[in-house]
Amino acid sequence: MTEYKIFPGCMIGNRIPFIEAACRKVLSRLGVQMSDAPFSCCPDPTGFANFDNDGWLAMGARNLALAEAEGKDILSLCNGCSNTLRLVNHALKHDNLKKDKINKELAKIGKNYRGAIDVKHFVSVLKDNLDIIRGAMTKSLSGLRVACHPGCHYMRPSEVMETDDPMHPKDLKEIVKAAGATVVDYEEEVLCCGSSVSNAFEEHGKAILQKKMNSIKNAGVDCIVVNCPSCFQQLDGNQRGLDGDINIPILYITELLALGMGIPSDEIGMRFHRTRVNPVVEKLG
Amino acid sequence: MRGLNQQQKKKKKKKKKKIGKPNQKKTHVKKMLSQDFEFRKKVMDMHMGVGELIKYCYTCSRCTDNCPVSAVTDNAYDPRSNIFLSISGLKGVLDAQPPIAVWGCTVCDTCDEVCPQSIELTEIFKLLKNESVKKGDAPEHYYLQAKAIFDSGKAIPPQPAIERRREQLGLPPVVVPDTNEVSTLLRNMGAASKLK
Repeated sequence: MTEYKIFPGCMIGNRIPFIEAACRKVLSRLGVQMSDAPFSCCPDPTGFANFDNDGWLAMGARNLALAEAEGKDILSLCNGCSNTLRLVNHALKHDNLKKDKINKELAKIGKNYRGAIDVKHFVSVLKDNLDIIRGAMTKSLSGLRVACHPGCHYMRPSEVMETDDPMHPKDLKEIVKAAGATVVDYEEEVLCCGSSVSNAFEEHGKAILQKKMNSIKNAGVDCIVVNCPSCFQQLDGNQRGLDGDINIPILYITELLALGMGIPSDEIGMRFHRTRVNPVVEKLG
Repeated sequence: MRGLNQQQKKKKKKKKKKIGKPNQKKTHVKKMLSQDFEFRKKVMDMHMGVGELIKYCYTCSRCTDNCPVSAVTDNAYDPRSNIFLSISGLKGVLDAQPPIAVWGCTVCDTCDEVCPQSIELTEIFKLLKNESVKKGDAPEHYYLQAKAIFDSGKAIPPQPAIERRREQLGLPPVVVPDTNEVSTLLRNMGAASKLK
């Protein structure tokens, strides 16, 4: 497989490193080659972009330029990072005036971006290699009931993210199925996790999360899989404060795959979850 | 009767002038209703769509009806109102109160997908928030995150406890960016001047 510049992002790298551990292990087992680069914050499409759009564009362009200088595409482990980097890439590729303006600033720090690379979300790479995933499973996940939460920025805005469907996403489900588990549909599947609005208005983020979790609880599942660290933090960290005694394990999709590949849960730091993941780990024996 | 009422109103007005209290509600409405063409141009420039111009909003309300924040705030956050006022160049939208009226957007991009006119609402909301930051009106979180990025190049700076955990997990150290490059870029783009 192609070699990528891996882009873990601030939240995974500097707050939830066990997600990075599972991602690196699983991706390299599947044959994905990765190398690091001195990337900065992507920057945050729900935070810094709202602070200053021009600065956000320029910093995003710097990150793209670093990968382009090595002739590699970027592989992102996070919805927010892939959203920013794809949005910036899209803007610069389609607007020459904007590109010239940004390149003038990049030149002052010795960089340049031509617009020659692509940015991939790791889920889109996994979904293109379902047969390899099937072949890598050593444990049966049969009977494990899984709810999928792909998260807003995996698929929207659709003309930039270019996934299968912005309102009825299937990519993550296909991966869960390929791993051998059972996908359980629920009503609020495309509902936001509420993470971003929580930055300023915690109570409203919580109200959105409550809606989402009620819907998942009604569907009856063993765990929820996600592919974004912000969603992970919102679902795993803030479940405890909700009404209705909700306690559903949250797994990064790569954690589920790791368990299916027989990688011990200790090796990927699953004990650091806030929700109790033991029931899932035990169920898979 | 009518004449009397008007006289009474005039008296009231005079009284208020004497005390020196401006009629806040009226000032706000006036601001709401005055078009600012420079602001309107900025709104139009946020449109990224390739090869097509921004279209009109006919206030169908699909954005607000599908907005997860509107749903839990009884429309205190109302994308339809924000987009209609913005496209009309009514800069007073930035003064709407309470703060959630501008900052309630959770950036889920749902409205962009359901808009029958393909208006890129989230891009325009981003502009509103950028302008609000300039006025110093943004929630504290946004200034703090920007400061962290300016200082360390990362929204979440490295922490010793996490670095130890990375080691336990057998992960390589985080490759740090050249913070000088990042801060130079942000200074030159004008973002640094908005920090508090």
